[in-house]
Amino acid sequence: MIALRNNKRTKISSAKPTTAFTAPTWILLSLTIVFPLLYGVYLSFLNINLGSFVPSKFIGLANYKLALTAPETYSTLLTTIELMLIGLLVQIPLGIFLAVVLHQNLKGSRFFRSVLIVPMLLTPVAVGLIFRFMFDTDIGIINWAISQAGSDGPNWLGTRNSALFAIVIVDSWQSVPFVMLLVVAALAGIPTSIYEAALVDGANKVQVFFRITLPLIVPTLLVLTMIKIMDFLKLFDTLFILTRGGPGNDTTTLGLWTYKTGFIFLEMSRAAALGVIILIITMPVYLLWRKASKSVR
Amino acid sequence: MAKLKRAQGIALVCVLALGLSACSSSSDDSGKELSGELNLFLIPSPSSTSIQSFIPEFEEKTGVKVNVSETPYGEAHQKQLLSYKQKAGAYDIAQFDNSFLAPFCQSKAMTALNDWVAGSDEYDINDFGQGQQDYGKCASGDTYGLTLSTEPMIQWYRTDIYEKLGLKPATTWDEWYSNAKKVQASGASGQLIGFGPNVSWWWMTMVWSFGGKLYDENLNPTVNSAEAVAAVEYMKKLLAVSPKGAITANGDEVTSKFLGEEIGAMLNYSGYYGMALDPAINKHAGKFATAPMPKGASDITHLAGWNIGIPSDAKNPDAAWAFLEFVLGKSNAKKYLESGAAAIGRKSIISDSSLQEKNPYLPQLEIPSSSRIERYPQIAVWPEFEVAAIDAVSKVLTGKSAAKAAMDALNEKLKSILANEPK
Repeated sequence: MIALRNNKRTKISSAKPTTAFTAPTWILLSLTIVFPLLYGVYLSFLNINLGSFVPSKFIGLANYKLALTAPETYSTLLTTIELMLIGLLVQIPLGIFLAVVLHQNLKGSRFFRSVLIVPMLLTPVAVGLIFRFMFDTDIGIINWAISQAGSDGPNWLGTRNSALFAIVIVDSWQSVPFVMLLVVAALAGIPTSIYEAALVDGANKVQVFFRITLPLIVPTLLVLTMIKIMDFLKLFDTLFILTRGGPGNDTTTLGLWTYKTGFIFLEMSRAAALGVIILIITMPVYLLWRKASKSVR
Repeated sequence: MAKLKRAQGIALVCVLALGLSACSSSSDDSGKELSGELNLFLIPSPSSTSIQSFIPEFEEKTGVKVNVSETPYGEAHQKQLLSYKQKAGAYDIAQFDNSFLAPFCQSKAMTALNDWVAGSDEYDINDFGQGQQDYGKCASGDTYGLTLSTEPMIQWYRTDIYEKLGLKPATTWDEWYSNAKKVQASGASGQLIGFGPNVSWWWMTMVWSFGGKLYDENLNPTVNSAEAVAAVEYMKKLLAVSPKGAITANGDEVTSKFLGEEIGAMLNYSGYYGMALDPAINKHAGKFATAPMPKGASDITHLAGWNIGIPSDAKNPDAAWAFLEFVLGKSNAKKYLESGAAAIGRKSIISDSSLQEKNPYLPQLEIPSSSRIERYPQIAVWPEFEVAAIDAVSKVLTGKSAAKAAMDALNEKLKSILANEPK
């Protein structure tokens, strides 16, 4: 009995310091993340409009019903998915390619490694503004360069497809260095002895890449893909500066639509419901990301 | 001796107290004591910069300390609404866009300025045209905001291009298009309006001018009427005689393109004239002029511009009115314009020949009584209405939809949006 009590006491005493040490973090996280999140969910069941001074009331699932029956929810979700897919198809292969080239330690690799990460350091708003001028059909440098080659450039931001492509170009310019850096780190973790053994066995460079390098960096690529998916789901600043979701609502993502609902239409509760829907959409991606992170560890 | 010293001390304290009170309070023209602090909520703009230039003089004159908080347009009205909703009393004076007058009126967020305006010789409301007098009025007739800038949409044209081609400023929409076609044929771009994220500005102007309405008196949308559809079809026609980039251009970009590129004419708010005074932006100084808008089936003037008012929870409303009267009154009207603000449109300012030299657009601010004044729709759901309209008009302009089909769809959509308008 005494032994049992001692055992209990040991367990309690070993648990106490952990709780005490982590408590401030939990309080901080609760205040900054958990409370706003729960409050957002609470708001989504009310009818708060910033422009109306009538006291708000509980309206149940009406905001969700409205969001799920509005065509804009689906068209903007489709735009988000399209941007995400095109972005992933451009950014992941390009990042891998650059990482593999840099990993060869060719002459000038260090210089290019430094240069290539510069876009990552710039503010998305500034980048968006500069690219908006560059994509301008009348005075932009991109169409000027195309015209020097003897052809007419597209109206980059004037049609849906070209505007989506322009957004992907700008986002890729900023995001590829991030992909590259993570892949470079993953490549550095592969033992050189594996490559040496493959060369001894007579494998060529393509075989080495597809049979050794790629399988060994798959866990990192999974994490990267999940991070990029989440990035695309919350893509806002570049998009807002570059197209404001236009022409019309053609490049409006679900995130930007949520912003418009809340801060332009002043429909705070409707925006909260859209926010919760985005959270639900993101949840499986988050769970996959956790799983992928564990496999990297 | 001790008693004498004590009496001297008391007298000294009294003199000091009187002196201090004289320093810390003053009276306005109506004789009311002014004291304390004033908190101004301004939105970065030439008008805001100009208002701030008057603060030192006002502080010196009245002893009232003036604090300024500037918030960018994108979040300014949201911040104001939150503050008024909480009755925080954070601001004594607030600048706002006329498109937000409706929610402010519905929520009684601002103080009615009727008595102050009516009783002020210095402000002199009769020095304004009827349109400017009514610009800050709610449907109830209460004035919630003074006119901080008068910015009708006007015609801007390149005198050198028009002279070379023997053209005159358009008086009708047919002439506008015909001029644009001739300019386009000469190698320059024919005309410019914004087909981008602010396309609604030109769309509503055209709908009104073509004889249409956005909605009727019972808040039923009417954007698919024959007149409204004709207006959208006309806009689509204009796209062909515009520079390529017009399809994405917003209000600022329309102006900078006109001032920097070879474009025959543009339709835009007079408030953008400030950009024309900047040599870094204006490459065609002295080569353009302004004229009234072309007319359609209805003679309308689309009037835009800032308002400024006193929030209903203001802590120092008397000092706030004194400040507004000081800055926007007759005595400082010239100085206000010269310090860079968009003109308020006082009759005495519009007709001032010395001011017209630097601001040749001023006569355009005199709106003839025959012209019906239209301002941003005074409905609380306007932002949602506007986004839906921009989407529908863009579909027509980018060739995704025919004008009639797009306007029918928009009309249907607007029914549910207008149904949410607070009664």
